[in-house]
Amino acid sequence: MIGGLIIVALVFVAAALAMLVLLAIRRTVLARRDRRYADAERRVRPLAIALVEGDGGEPPTLSSADQAVLAEVLGRYSRKLTGAAHARIADYFRGTPAVRAALHDLRARRMWRRAAAAYRLGDMADPEVAPALLAALDDSRRQVRTAAARSLGRLGIVEAALPLVEALVSRRVPSGVAGQALVELGPAAVPELRRIAEHPEPQIRAAAVTLIGLVGDSRDAPLAVSALEDPSADVRRAAAETLSRIGGAAAEPPLRTALSDRLHFVRAAAAAALGALRSDAALPQLLEMARTDRFRPARAAAQAVARIAPRELAAAAKEPGAGPHLHEAADLGAM
Amino acid sequence: MTEPGAERDRPVVLAADDDEDILELVAFRLERSGYTVLQARDGEEALELARAEKPDLAVLDVMMPKLDGFELTRRLRAEEATSKMPIILLTARAQDTDVDRGFESGADDYLRKPFSPQELSTRVQAILGRR
Repeated sequence: MIGGLIIVALVFVAAALAMLVLLAIRRTVLARRDRRYADAERRVRPLAIALVEGDGGEPPTLSSADQAVLAEVLGRYSRKLTGAAHARIADYFRGTPAVRAALHDLRARRMWRRAAAAYRLGDMADPEVAPALLAALDDSRRQVRTAAARSLGRLGIVEAALPLVEALVSRRVPSGVAGQALVELGPAAVPELRRIAEHPEPQIRAAAVTLIGLVGDSRDAPLAVSALEDPSADVRRAAAETLSRIGGAAAEPPLRTALSDRLHFVRAAAAAALGALRSDAALPQLLEMARTDRFRPARAAAQAVARIAPRELAAAAKEPGAGPHLHEAADLGAM
Repeated sequence: MTEPGAERDRPVVLAADDDEDILELVAFRLERSGYTVLQARDGEEALELARAEKPDLAVLDVMMPKLDGFELTRRLRAEEATSKMPIILLTARAQDTDVDRGFESGADDYLRKPFSPQELSTRVQAILGRR
């Protein structure tokens, strides 16, 4: 009996020792790998900086390990730089083994490998990888789709606008990532967004109109004014929000009409937009709305009055029947 | 290191950022443009360097350990020796309110990350050229 227990104890001790030895070996291997990487990075950093600054001529021949480290350092720089330095990174990567390897990894069996490749391609600044990234937007795994969306935005691939809007609306990509990618496409995407604003799907139209408000300018206001009459209330609300950013005096009459929209959240958005545009002509309607409409539009109207005419707001709040929203806005304004 | 107050061959710029890549890219570009660059990796180190070396201009990150760029700018403005030193904030915080906050704290210019080293160098040159 005792002999058996001793044998079991010895087996446990031996297993524990073996585990400790294994852990020590693993730690040594990882530390050595980190050291090798740090050494390689020290070697290639001056080369990477010279490259982004357009110094030196032909890059020296590097070992494949150093090439991989250089690609990683340049990928990091790509996230931090714009302008000519960013363009030089794209020039460097065009047709390199690093791009070919990432494109190959986009078809890998393991999800993490595909996602990492999609992410890396965005940092390589080479727009020629767009078709592969667009295909990755349909990957079966969310992580890959998300990395592809982020990279399409970083690369400024305007043709990706519709697939990105669809991914945003269907939630196949987290809305923050898809939205950021679309905003990163910038004003160059406006013509494409104008086309998307005619899409048969209301949610897609609404997203396009919202994005036009973020990346467009006053020349796009007539489109948003037309969208105020869209059959979909979501599109009408998006149009009012967009006009609060890019609308001018011409947007005020249609926004005043939208104060009578049958849906309260459209009325609220129109009131907020008129406040943002400092529309004096809308004051009587906004004051009436602040007194009589339901909670959300009445509150938006009172806040709009506060932006347009703080003195009139203070006077209106003292009148009988002013209601809670005018009081609240006046109190906040007095603080 | 440059002797404080001594005649300098090259204007001295203090660059402060906790991101080693940014610091290196900024330093490389500014040195190539003819400046001597002092590097700091956090707000406190930057404050000490500014007091000791009295640089001609500072390029400061906003989100830094120990002392953020807004507070650092305020402290530099409050000290006589550095109160007139031009300051450029270089930051990923790109909201308009952040830009306002930067100018309120006393910054002379604001550059958003990701940034163009060329643009940074042009702005440094423009500010130092005006003095």
